[in-house]
Amino acid sequence: MIKKFLKHLNYYLLLLIIFSIGLLATVFASPNTNLQILIIVLTIASYVFWGILHHKLNHELTNKIIVEYLLIGLLGFSIIFFIFTGGI
Amino acid sequence: MVSFIYHFFTPQTSNNYRPRLLHPKILLLLTLFFFSAGLLMSFAKTNYPEILGISSDVSIDQLLILTNQKRQESGLPPLSLDGRLNTAAANKGSDMLAKGYWAHIAPDGATPWVFIRGAGYNYTFAGENLARGYTNTSDVINAWMASQSHKDNILSPNYNNVGFAVVTGNLNGEDTVVVVEMFGSTTLAAAPSKTQEETVKEVATGSTEESFAQVPKAQALVEEESSPLAQEKTNTETVASNVNPKIKPLINAETFSSNLASVAITIFMFVFILDMIIIERKKILRFVGHNLDHIMFLGLILALILVIIKGYIV
Repeated sequence: MIKKFLKHLNYYLLLLIIFSIGLLATVFASPNTNLQILIIVLTIASYVFWGILHHKLNHELTNKIIVEYLLIGLLGFSIIFFIFTGGI
Repeated sequence: MVSFIYHFFTPQTSNNYRPRLLHPKILLLLTLFFFSAGLLMSFAKTNYPEILGISSDVSIDQLLILTNQKRQESGLPPLSLDGRLNTAAANKGSDMLAKGYWAHIAPDGATPWVFIRGAGYNYTFAGENLARGYTNTSDVINAWMASQSHKDNILSPNYNNVGFAVVTGNLNGEDTVVVVEMFGSTTLAAAPSKTQEETVKEVATGSTEESFAQVPKAQALVEEESSPLAQEKTNTETVASNVNPKIKPLINAETFSSNLASVAITIFMFVFILDMIIIERKKILRFVGHNLDHIMFLGLILALILVIIKGYIV
């Protein structure tokens, strides 16, 4: 498991950078909720793109994997939508 | 029942070595659930505020106690609650909700001093701290004390009165609790450590967060007469009557939604970790996404929730 992680270290560093930028931008955008939603959508879209590209570059991309990343991304956004519309 | 739990949460033959919870159909169902639940809660908040809405445990009594506690810890005399500053704070809070702004200065240019003078408090020194989105009093005070400009207001020797308002309402589409703290003094005697020149300099630097002003009493009275203050006062009082801070819903929407979302994310993260460990140990070859990617992503969503529900101060 650790070997696999180290093999993909560069990819994960890129993912961490994407997430850090997304998180920091969301913090600085507060309390502008519209801007926060836009930043979150862009971060999630970047994650889905990164996931698909990662598998493509490793020659292991299938339709099932594309659907999986899209659904996990959509689930993440639905939870954020739930908080914005229902919670605050 | 036990086999169903295993089928749902762990990889095995019955679920094609992928926990049922992570199958596309279940993911899609949960996505639709969260979208629908968000819309349903939004509807319930609008139509049944007594059941679902925003509530907070921030109280004026506690705000006064904690403010004075911080002052006493710094060797300063306690502030006394002033009814006029309470009115000014309530009018300011209501004005922000009615006009949809979150700042010390209103879009129409009304400063905090307009509200303070409008409430009949002819100040020598005055200041304002604002907070929103906090659910208890100590979090509000701690947030202010963590910010130098707000802390300076709380610990200023120039003030001897304080007023508070806790106003619940919708600010730019977000149901929230706004806390307004207004400081003031009507005498110069309370300011032994600052010269008038130093005080004016603070105003001139223009930091709206410092909210610190020094206006001679006579000048304030002249301004009151020359500006449409009577009209302003009437407007803000009308606005105040439109807001009902007393509605305490059965369910706090913010706590409920953030708890539900956090529990769901935690379960997903746990299942992804469990799946990763079991598959690694059994050396099963699958063509699915990397679990570590999804765990990191769900961690991000959890962090975003904390950012979204966090309170703000200005």
